[in-house]
Amino acid sequence: MIREFGTNEVIYIVLALRWTIALSLIAFAGGAVGGLAIALMRVSRLGVARLFAVGFIRVFQGTPLLMQLFIVYFGLNIIGLPTNAWLAAAVALALHAAAFLGEIWRGSIQAVPSGQGEAADALAYGYVTRMKDVILPQAARIAAAPTTGFLVQLIKSTSLASIIGFTELTRAARSSATPPSNPFW
Amino acid sequence: MNALSSANMPSKPGSAPKVQAPPAVRLVGIEKWYGAFQALKSVDLTVHSGERIVICGPSGSGKSTLIRCINQLESIESGTIEVNGTKLSSSPARVRENRREIGMVFQQFNLFPHMTILQNCVLGPIKVRGLDRTEAEKIARHYLDRVRIPEQADKYPAQLSGGQQQRVAIARALCLQPQIMLFDEPTSALDPEMVSEVLDTMIDLASDGMTMICVTHEMGFARKVADRVIFMDHGEIIEENDPVGFFDAPRHARTQSFLGQIA
Repeated sequence: MIREFGTNEVIYIVLALRWTIALSLIAFAGGAVGGLAIALMRVSRLGVARLFAVGFIRVFQGTPLLMQLFIVYFGLNIIGLPTNAWLAAAVALALHAAAFLGEIWRGSIQAVPSGQGEAADALAYGYVTRMKDVILPQAARIAAAPTTGFLVQLIKSTSLASIIGFTELTRAARSSATPPSNPFW
Repeated sequence: MNALSSANMPSKPGSAPKVQAPPAVRLVGIEKWYGAFQALKSVDLTVHSGERIVICGPSGSGKSTLIRCINQLESIESGTIEVNGTKLSSSPARVRENRREIGMVFQQFNLFPHMTILQNCVLGPIKVRGLDRTEAEKIARHYLDRVRIPEQADKYPAQLSGGQQQRVAIARALCLQPQIMLFDEPTSALDPEMVSEVLDTMIDLASDGMTMICVTHEMGFARKVADRVIFMDHGEIIEENDPVGFFDAPRHARTQSFLGQIA
């Protein structure tokens, strides 16, 4: 029972692109919030915060994304949430992105000349002003290129979400090519 | 505009009357270590309100470290620091309170490159003094006027010469209306022809009665402005004298050889 590959299939696959884009955007937004928090903790004066950030980065940079997807997907059930491919894919990719963006942005913050932070300190600025008005705007310029590079990686990584049943571009293409009777798809 | 509490002090400390107010800065037994290296060895120094101190000495002698301890950019291992009679504490709120009264000018200017000159100057009054924007701009323009670059307010630091940038840095520090100004080799990163415009600004400030502690090798400035000159070497204060005595009759061999080298 071989299906024909016609216009309908092409449209189906192309439309699945929006789920890839949506998942990428959600993962990037979640990863940006988490990544900023991780980066700030990583350069914090508080030892506990630094330790937490280092641990988080070790875990999420040091294990395969596929394993993270599985753990979040099957783990949702354990903490009483329904097993949901959308939620699992979004959470796992956001955590993954947070670990990598956190480290990229940590480096960018530290690349801002130390005199800038000293001047902010000497002018009696508080932590928020020092970061928001002085350090982060300068770090953002440094971070632009590596962040873009990681974003490209992240978009491609969303294809892994097909394995937990999330219908994005890769899965749409596979299911167009494989008969519905195939128990693995 | 000047927040000085006591009247202007006479320029020579020998004739200075004992003032009632506590000294602007009092350092007692300051010790500072960088790992196994001792940067400051039991340093004592008292600076009265309105006094102008010049600190000189070879590189690595601890003079920058010493003034950075006063506004708590460096921590100390032992000893006490009092600013305007208040002992310094390491609690973040108290550190900010202390820094609010102390302006600092750095060798590398450290202007914020992504902000205009005016934005550099108004940020402090708005965020630290809690002023509104118009009030802050008034203060900023007043001090930019004082350092004689009001017309550069809307430019970015990179568009200014080194001397102009350093004058902006002085104005930015003054915008918080501090009682004490620290200068950490303010002219060392400047081209020779720009040194005098910065020194003139500092002389102007001194004539207003500002308490100033300057780390500098500009001996002409020291002669003209300083009430006391302090010579440091290997983390210790070796010699302390009024400018005439310091330059014309240095007592210690190390002071003599240092002055011989820079003359």
